[in-house]
Amino acid sequence: MKNSPLTRLLAAAALVLASTLSAAESQLIVAMLPKSKGNAYFVSCKAGADRAARDLGVKLLFDGPTDSNAAKQNEIVENWITLGVDVIAVAAENREGISTALRKARKQGIQVVTYDADAQPDARSFFVNQATPQGIAHTLMDDAARLLNGEGEFAIILATLTAANQREWQQLIEKRWKEKYPKMKLVAVRPCDDLKDKAQSEATALMSAHPNLKLIMAICSPAVPGAAEAVKQAGKTGKVKVIGLGLPSENRRYVKEGVTDTVVLWKTEDLGYLTIEAAVAVAKGTLKPGAKTFPSRKLGAIEIQGDNILLGKPFAFTKENIDQFNF
Amino acid sequence: MMKPTDAPSRDWKALLLRHEMILLYVLVAEWLFFYFAGTSVNRRGVVIGFGTLDRQFDVLRHSCEIGLLALALTPVIITGGIDLSVGSLLGLCAILFGKLWHDAGLPIPVAAGLTLVIGTLAGGLNAVLVTALRLPPLIVTLGTYSLFRGLAEAITRGAVTYTDFPAGFLFLGQERWLGLPTQAWLFALVALAVWLLVHRTTFGRSYRAIGYSSEGARHAGLPVASRLAGVYLLAGGIAALAGIIYTARLGQAKADAGTGYELFAITAVVLGGTSIFGGAGSVHGTLLGVAAIAVLKNGLACLPVVMELNAAEEIAGLLTGALLLLALTGGVAFRMVPRLRRPHRAPSPTPPSS
Amino acid sequence: MLTLLAVFAPAFFQPQPLLSLATREAPTLVVACGMALVIISRQIDISVGSQFSVCGVCAGLLAASGWPLAATLPAAVATGALLGAVNGALIAGLGLPSIVVSLATMVTLRQGLNLARQGQFVNLPDGVQWFGLSQSSGQGLIVGFAVLLLVALALAMRHLAAGRFIHAIGSDAEAARLAGIRPRLGTFLVFVLMGALTGLAAMMNVVQSPQVQPLSGLGLELKVIAAVVVGGVAISGGSGNLWGAFAGLLLLACIGPALTHLRVEAYWEKAIQGAIILLAVVADGIRSRRTGP
Repeated sequence: MKNSPLTRLLAAAALVLASTLSAAESQLIVAMLPKSKGNAYFVSCKAGADRAARDLGVKLLFDGPTDSNAAKQNEIVENWITLGVDVIAVAAENREGISTALRKARKQGIQVVTYDADAQPDARSFFVNQATPQGIAHTLMDDAARLLNGEGEFAIILATLTAANQREWQQLIEKRWKEKYPKMKLVAVRPCDDLKDKAQSEATALMSAHPNLKLIMAICSPAVPGAAEAVKQAGKTGKVKVIGLGLPSENRRYVKEGVTDTVVLWKTEDLGYLTIEAAVAVAKGTLKPGAKTFPSRKLGAIEIQGDNILLGKPFAFTKENIDQFNF
Repeated sequence: MMKPTDAPSRDWKALLLRHEMILLYVLVAEWLFFYFAGTSVNRRGVVIGFGTLDRQFDVLRHSCEIGLLALALTPVIITGGIDLSVGSLLGLCAILFGKLWHDAGLPIPVAAGLTLVIGTLAGGLNAVLVTALRLPPLIVTLGTYSLFRGLAEAITRGAVTYTDFPAGFLFLGQERWLGLPTQAWLFALVALAVWLLVHRTTFGRSYRAIGYSSEGARHAGLPVASRLAGVYLLAGGIAALAGIIYTARLGQAKADAGTGYELFAITAVVLGGTSIFGGAGSVHGTLLGVAAIAVLKNGLACLPVVMELNAAEEIAGLLTGALLLLALTGGVAFRMVPRLRRPHRAPSPTPPSS
Repeated sequence: MLTLLAVFAPAFFQPQPLLSLATREAPTLVVACGMALVIISRQIDISVGSQFSVCGVCAGLLAASGWPLAATLPAAVATGALLGAVNGALIAGLGLPSIVVSLATMVTLRQGLNLARQGQFVNLPDGVQWFGLSQSSGQGLIVGFAVLLLVALALAMRHLAAGRFIHAIGSDAEAARLAGIRPRLGTFLVFVLMGALTGLAAMMNVVQSPQVQPLSGLGLELKVIAAVVVGGVAISGGSGNLWGAFAGLLLLACIGPALTHLRVEAYWEKAIQGAIILLAVVADGIRSRRTGP
């Protein structure tokens, strides 16, 4: 009684599906895995990837966890293996965890590249590197030092205490701080669970707990507007500076109001575009290990260091230039 | 009013059977649908998608941990309790196992054994609070839900990830033994044990009696407290095992392991026909519930139309929620559900606090 | 707890951060009030976090498409009430267990929202933040309103017939029915109220910043349930009041900032939160056993 309407529904759906099935078969299939697909950062990557897929005439699958979840990433990759995709492009939530699944894919003849956050080197052929972790950490720390003239208290807000690349950035930021800016003081590191509202609460608490706090560095994208809103509400615009890694669209208002000084990021659409180009080239065999440059349709000749395809330097969005970008 | 369910009368049993049979039809229909709609041949002439053996094994591997938690929860829910902490405990056990092996240098089997003991002890914390202090399980395990996850984060300071486990251990989570994924054998073993416990021993009968009316069970001379303690201890032990298998499947132990698994497990148990009020339920129902959710989730990911939408997980979640509601409302037609919630503990009159 | 803070971190008690904290927690208080009523009537609703997100995003989208605030606010409340009515209809109408029904609606709503929005922020037009008022009066309005609501509901629970009905339904539905109360209608209305309050809370959250994140409200259900129970509302229904829920929320809301002030590292926060919940229920359990029969 209960399953009969269900089966009818399913049968109807099957008819619809049968038609879509045959169309895609002749194309090369590229599967792209973000860390969390709702994140505006990856949404913007996808926009670039979509364009590349159109330009190159390949089929793009884009799927990932809605929350950054290492186990779900593995499950999605294993699903793609049995779906027989041609090439997989992965932003690894957790380096070791994903590598087991990626090695399995390679064993079955599926090409693997990584972007945004790398897996272990033997689990992929190339890493499309948007900016080295050092590059990011140094840009942020140097910018913080520039704003504070090299002295004063600062705090870091990151996504979660378990995200691999967040921790790597944090450690490199701390290294740079200890080496170059001994007069500055890191007073706290707080997680915000990738929630803007929580980042705002954390920033508020930080400002009251550390009255001499001069700067908040937010290294995950929801935390930048969250921290900025907290500073603005506390009436400390200018007294407590905000910098971070984030998207222009989410921070435009605060950058223009002078609450947030700098938002650092690379051009995420270009990252998505280049990733797909590289993935397709690897699958077609035109990009082989040992290559020194990679010709991109959109970005010109791209430098390759070892097995890292380099997108370029991080870009700093400020009051002057932020209106030119709409992602 | 209600029919007595502690000594299952014939028609009650028939009705229960019916729920599980319907679930079985749904499962078979699901499976057949995905088999035909989710399988195709790619450019190189290779069969891909849901119909491949690899895919079927993936379904098994991916549902193992949630399946174990659902098995752990079945006796708990039959007694009228609940355990929200199993997912967090999975995470805690995973990192404790990693720590014992990596930092303390213990051999894998010893570390695994100790982890099982620790998991059982952690279940013991729930057991003590629920039985000795007679606190409501929902609240106790809500607290331990935070506590266990928090301890896992505190121990690793969030950052430490244990990896580089030896191949022999990873065999447990990633390879096959006698034709099936290794962990599937362990899962089958646990499933069989829990099934025997619930359906073929006096323990199982006493769980139902307690779930139906713990006061009544007490008057009938059942050792309610120790029986209740037993199910929470068991849940802790099984959660620890799930933590070890999770570690082997991913090749890493990290503090966020198993986040949100408790909800999937509870969903599977309830979908399987176990009454959330306690008193009635079955292990095979739970297994069917787990399978229905796992096939749905994995099958959807193989459908071209879903791939176009890039939203397999969301659609699976939506349909799981809908399936659960359907099972519940459908259930109303067949059986009489207690109209109002009965208290989880013995109805000893609680004076209003404050 | 607060005394401890006063001794070790007097900076905690500055008016500006406290007002900010109060503003941040005001929506949670509104949801907690609703949850207290639900739990007193011997039900539970774990879908409030998802409802909160859905209402927030709906309100955000309406505001972004040019609806005036005066229309957005009732729309958010109505959305919440509608979602609450779905829960209520299934629970009271069909007699289904509230924990499972709200589990199902929680998953369905959350995944539906993910599907629709893919996690993208909604950018709000100018003039929505703080209801178009200045920041301090906006904050004052939100906190004042939440407190007013708390007082009104608490008094209503004590002095109005409807409030006593809820207690009656929670302590013994059968007796309530025999006494001429309609427990199913009462339960239904409690869930509608819960939804409406959640919608209201979502709106109070939306106006606090110029963007809406669809993930907001994730985990809210556990926070408010914990607050209500720590505040001494018995999960088995029938007893407890809103002041307790308020005290419970106060305690939980202060843990995070307090740890920051006491310079405790973030890693311990969740563990401490869990331990405090357990301690509170254990203390309450022991106390009620001692004073009980």
